[in-house]
Amino acid sequence: MKVWEYILRRLLLAVLVVFGVSVVTFFIARVVPSDPAALWVGPRPSPDQIAAARVKLGLDRPLYIQYFYYLGNLLRGDLGVSIKTHQPIVQDLRAYLPATLELVLVGMAMAVFIGIPLGVLSAARRNRLLDHFSRLIAVAAVSIPTFWLGLLLQLIFFGQLRWLPIGGRVSIETTLYQPIQTVTGFYLVDTLITRNWPAFWDALTHIILPAFTLATYAIGLTIRMTRSTMVEVLQEKYIVAARAAGLPERTILFRLALKNALVPTLTVLALSFVYSLTGAILVEVIFSWPGLGSYVTSAIINVDFPVIIAVTLIVTVFYVLINLVLDLVQVALDPRVVLK
Amino acid sequence: MKEPLISVRDLRVHFRTYAGVVHALNGVSFDLYPGEILGLVGETGCGKSVTGLALLGLVPPPGEVVGGEIRYRGQNLLSLPPAQWQALRGGKIAMIFQDPAAALNPVFTVGEQMELVIRRHRRMGRDAARRQAAEVLRSVGMPEPERILETYPHELSGGMQQRVMIAMALSCGAEVLVADEPTTALDVTIQAQILDLLVDLKRTRGLSILLITHNLGVVAETCDRVAVLYAGFIVEMGPTGAIFQAVKHPYTQGLLAAIPRPSRRGNPLQAIPGTVPDGLQPPPGCLFHPRCPFAWDRCRQERPALLEVADGHQVACHLYGGEAAR
Repeated sequence: MKVWEYILRRLLLAVLVVFGVSVVTFFIARVVPSDPAALWVGPRPSPDQIAAARVKLGLDRPLYIQYFYYLGNLLRGDLGVSIKTHQPIVQDLRAYLPATLELVLVGMAMAVFIGIPLGVLSAARRNRLLDHFSRLIAVAAVSIPTFWLGLLLQLIFFGQLRWLPIGGRVSIETTLYQPIQTVTGFYLVDTLITRNWPAFWDALTHIILPAFTLATYAIGLTIRMTRSTMVEVLQEKYIVAARAAGLPERTILFRLALKNALVPTLTVLALSFVYSLTGAILVEVIFSWPGLGSYVTSAIINVDFPVIIAVTLIVTVFYVLINLVLDLVQVALDPRVVLK
Repeated sequence: MKEPLISVRDLRVHFRTYAGVVHALNGVSFDLYPGEILGLVGETGCGKSVTGLALLGLVPPPGEVVGGEIRYRGQNLLSLPPAQWQALRGGKIAMIFQDPAAALNPVFTVGEQMELVIRRHRRMGRDAARRQAAEVLRSVGMPEPERILETYPHELSGGMQQRVMIAMALSCGAEVLVADEPTTALDVTIQAQILDLLVDLKRTRGLSILLITHNLGVVAETCDRVAVLYAGFIVEMGPTGAIFQAVKHPYTQGLLAAIPRPSRRGNPLQAIPGTVPDGLQPPPGCLFHPRCPFAWDRCRQERPALLEVADGHQVACHLYGGEAAR
């Protein structure tokens, strides 16, 4: 089985999944009792205005015709316009999606670089002081409410220490004097590409607190998951054999054992990554981060269905892709796993 | 007589468990000479594997060495700084295990694993380490060593896996090989090949092997000397021929009688009555006396010491006179 063949097959299946999700969300949107035409024309409309909007939005046609129009637009990359703001959704997403992705990716990196080492050392020093300490951190990390932690971090690092900004993606000074040229929409990447160092530094300091707040839950999960699989792996015969071969403990833990223990941790991390795409709403609100979570939340409150459907589709695509990547990573890590 | 390479004296290992202290080794003493195969035999749970692991300083927690000495070339390993002992491990003193499929890391190629070990003990680059690995593989009778280096352990047969383990153990010039039931998990034909290989390595390289097994047939075929371990104590030790022909200790007699023989077909198998003593509360006196058909008063009170009864043949039993051990 060639890897490319496998990927191609999975991607074709993914298209089916996305199609299915689009059907389900589209029809749910139409059976929910709300009138998009009334929403479209704004407050206190006349019946004539609503009727005109209904024709304009195609709501007077049969449902399946509406869906085919929707699908046709979708295939051309047109996600429609927001009923509330009349803005093209693609344009909105171009602003919100990179902001969220950047935040979530930095958060996941924190989870990897804090959670995995702590989990490994915790397993290695099982039932000793470091283990108790890191298990305490893990429990605290999954149980602390996000809004409370976010506010606390703002109080300490902005209010008291004045080390880090309170919110936003960049400061106003940067927007005025060192404007960021948008290439990818990821400010950390864009500023690096354009060698805009002050703006890079500014974006970096802005992302630390929200990313960490977002990462705490994932850090807790990562510690627990890594620890429990590592505890099992460390009891394997090949670990005793590696010690008998005189290999240093560092190599045994972080190379020989960790590669055997990584898959469950990565699975948990990947799922929490996709969850955070829309689940980061609390963090986005607290740190005024213009992300997907707040975007879709306001859409839900306004019953702005084209936006809800669009975001659902985006998240679906990420789910499908992440699952594919996870499977490929698993094959790369363990030669006994075979693609089928 | 030559100087022993490994000299174990009065080795005691305890496991601290919730139920209490388990006495795994109760004063084990033996010597391993250059170029010999010493068989360490006994039932499951008698302390064979713990003895092997103790030689490498790898008694698993909650076990710990609570007394005695392990000397390698006169140097007491137990008082050595951990880093120095670690350097000897896999270097001068190596170990192979019962189930080679479990003892090889499933997610690294044979080459990657051998390279790691070689470069830990020898200062050399990747390519040199790889050549060295291929060479050792060839020396243990592996065809196409370069191809084997690229394979993952699960792609090899059990016999090949054990050869890889042996190659890895020898890749850094080991003088002592602790072989813990190296053939138990293998087919009989493969078993013979691996044992032949060990005997061959003894002859050609002067390798000293501590062969841990419960199989007296394996002992008879390969070992120069045998030590019989019972409840963490050596009850009889001597040249293989003497043990099989002039067996002294009632426990060893029982073990030999328990081997199924074609000539006894139709008769029930002989078994030693009773069970291995509880490590939490070892019996007073001789550890074997509750199961011994010849036990008398003295056996219940004094633990017998290992005494020489013939040239190189030692036995710990009051039937053969001598004083009590402490």
